[in-house]
Amino acid sequence: MNLVRSKHSGLYSLEKKWGIILALPAMIGFLVFTLGPMIASFFFSLTNWEIGGTYNFIGLENYRYMFVEDQLFRKSLFATIYYSFGSVPLVILVAFLVALLLNQKVKGLAIFRTIYYLPVIVPSIASTMLWLWLFNPDFGLFNAILKGAGLPGLQWIYDEKTAIPSLILMSTWGIGNAAVIFLAGLQGVPTHLYEAVDIDGGNAIHKLLYVTIPTMTPTIFFNLVMSLIGSFQVFNEAYIMTNGGPNNSTLFFVYYLFRTAFQETKMGYACALAWILFLVIMVLTLIVFKTSKSWVYYEGGDKS
Amino acid sequence: MNVKKVVLLGILFVFCFAMVACSNSSDTSGDNSQGNSQETVNLTFMYWGSVFEKQAVEKMVKAFETKYPHIKVDAQHVPNDYTTKINTLMASGDLPDVAYLGEGLALKWAEEGKVMDMSAYVEEHPQLKNRIPETFYYFDEGKTIGTNTAAEIMSVFYNKDLFAEVNVDVPPSKGSEALTWSEFVETAQKLTLDNNGNNALSSNFDPNNIVQYGVSFPTWWAGWYPFLKSNGGSITNEDGTEFTLNSPEAVEVFQNLQDLMYKYHVSPTPTQKENMPATSVLLQTKKVAMVIDGHWNILDFGESKLNFGVGVLPKYNEPKTTIFGAPTVVFSSTKHPDEAMLFYMFHNDPEEVNLYADGLWMPLESKYYTDQEYIDKWTKTEIHPPEFREAVIDYTLSSAESGPGYSLRNFSEIDTAINSVLDQLWLGTKSAKEVLTEMEEKVQPLLKGTYPRQ
Repeated sequence: MNLVRSKHSGLYSLEKKWGIILALPAMIGFLVFTLGPMIASFFFSLTNWEIGGTYNFIGLENYRYMFVEDQLFRKSLFATIYYSFGSVPLVILVAFLVALLLNQKVKGLAIFRTIYYLPVIVPSIASTMLWLWLFNPDFGLFNAILKGAGLPGLQWIYDEKTAIPSLILMSTWGIGNAAVIFLAGLQGVPTHLYEAVDIDGGNAIHKLLYVTIPTMTPTIFFNLVMSLIGSFQVFNEAYIMTNGGPNNSTLFFVYYLFRTAFQETKMGYACALAWILFLVIMVLTLIVFKTSKSWVYYEGGDKS
Repeated sequence: MNVKKVVLLGILFVFCFAMVACSNSSDTSGDNSQGNSQETVNLTFMYWGSVFEKQAVEKMVKAFETKYPHIKVDAQHVPNDYTTKINTLMASGDLPDVAYLGEGLALKWAEEGKVMDMSAYVEEHPQLKNRIPETFYYFDEGKTIGTNTAAEIMSVFYNKDLFAEVNVDVPPSKGSEALTWSEFVETAQKLTLDNNGNNALSSNFDPNNIVQYGVSFPTWWAGWYPFLKSNGGSITNEDGTEFTLNSPEAVEVFQNLQDLMYKYHVSPTPTQKENMPATSVLLQTKKVAMVIDGHWNILDFGESKLNFGVGVLPKYNEPKTTIFGAPTVVFSSTKHPDEAMLFYMFHNDPEEVNLYADGLWMPLESKYYTDQEYIDKWTKTEIHPPEFREAVIDYTLSSAESGPGYSLRNFSEIDTAINSVLDQLWLGTKSAKEVLTEMEEKVQPLLKGTYPRQ
């Protein structure tokens, strides 16, 4: 029998009230701390507000200045995109490989899993300080290794050309989260598919290519989107390690935004920068979502 | 249970939470007049500085409250991200009454009417009026926001024991006897040693294994501005509208500084400095023989019982040093400007604060530089060396010019732009001429003229 609940029943109104009460904190939190500031920042992005001054409505002038005149905007957008496009694939790849390894049945598995996850728990300030030492051209570990192998040392984060690649290398330090998600995904791969490969006479490579990777695409997709969004908001490296240097080569977008707002007091312009960052991330995420239809496989349905 | 009541309670709770989270913390200054014959005035004072400075400031605040029992001062120490904090407070309209403030923001906010014009008080109080003229910040003709919190100049500090060991003349303490640049380089070369004990003048010198550097200098503007001035150069033209840091004079100064690192190998590079300790430890452990740095270091030297000496900077044409320091300001939003001014005059009065005798600060009033009785008050200590009188006090009066932040509008942004381009100079990737030529297009658009200097 199909139970149709009356709108006037006591149960219905009770559930409705409780539902609203319990959701209220989240709803108000969203309105007050997310939607409100977003609307405010959009409004301010159309003004020339500098902290401590009065502001006038200047239409799209901030956006015009950004795209036409501001060299630092271009430089910082380039630095951020360069970093993201280097770091995201690398992190996904390394995290996936680590997850594959951590999915093997070996002795001391729990210890390995802990070790790979550990950097995520280390406060990011501490790990940036650590990498500052590793990168030091004169006393750092990396150059010691290179010199030991008879290679000339690099200037790492102290050279315009190698600064971003160095930070990309450093981003692999934070693979822990992605690796854990991959690991969970790997454990959900149905074993009967592997057995089918065995029966068909396939080897480990076949298993990886035809079973593991296809069934893992939803997890890869999720990690891709999350690390894309995360990497566009990279901040600590520029703030602590390089101050955006040398010669603004690591002036990441969020750091530039922070500096504009809180050090140069140009709040209106910083709001405009924030909106452009939002749009950039949204467009890239949308692109990933659009393409996902052609490569992400969901078991139990052909609708994605 | 009554559902309606629960709903009501729930909504109430959530709203209370939102209100508390969003409202400005209520103003605590003002009206606690009940019972007292005199109204109690509450002031808020915000400042930065080391733990040591914090202790001294807390002591000063106590002395102030004892002297003026009707004024209570809430002193807030903000050691990190000061600019971010004060900007946020400004944006939310929750400013302190009196605060340390970077000169860039201070002058800008004074023009907006947010930082108080102190001119009237300066006329009234001789202890303000008699401060060294170079230390006043003017945001408009005849309108001042006061002076630096305390004065600082750039000097050469050195380890006396080390100079005695190698029998090299110490840097001179008289401005008139200042070393020329080449003499200075030679001194630094004699004091730069590799791990076999060869100095930088020796043909066997190994620049890859240096154990002691001749000189270390800061790469921010205080490290090059005095030399630029001494060589007759300038960041901009007179009225601050044209970039001139690419002049031959400037190129010479910057090339010489770069050469200290990469040609003569007498100074550590920025990447080598990354791993080096504080200035006082550098000198004490003989990692470096001389440092070019600000007066405030004397506090650390005194703490570490270092046998240091102080000399004047090397010169190009005129001997020059830079006098500077961020201002303490009174915000216009204060409800008690008179009491705030009382505190302002008290907070850096050498009679009340021991940071002068401790070596962190230099006084602002001229009498502390000219009148023996007052000179003794802050320099007759165990830490101020005998040559201090000539090398710092006389040198300040004869050769100190105020830093670029006093006159150049928009200097904090200009400074950021200059620094990002100079990275390449300090890292040795480009020559001074290339770097300074490239700098023009980055800095020229930021120039917005000058502030008056009186």
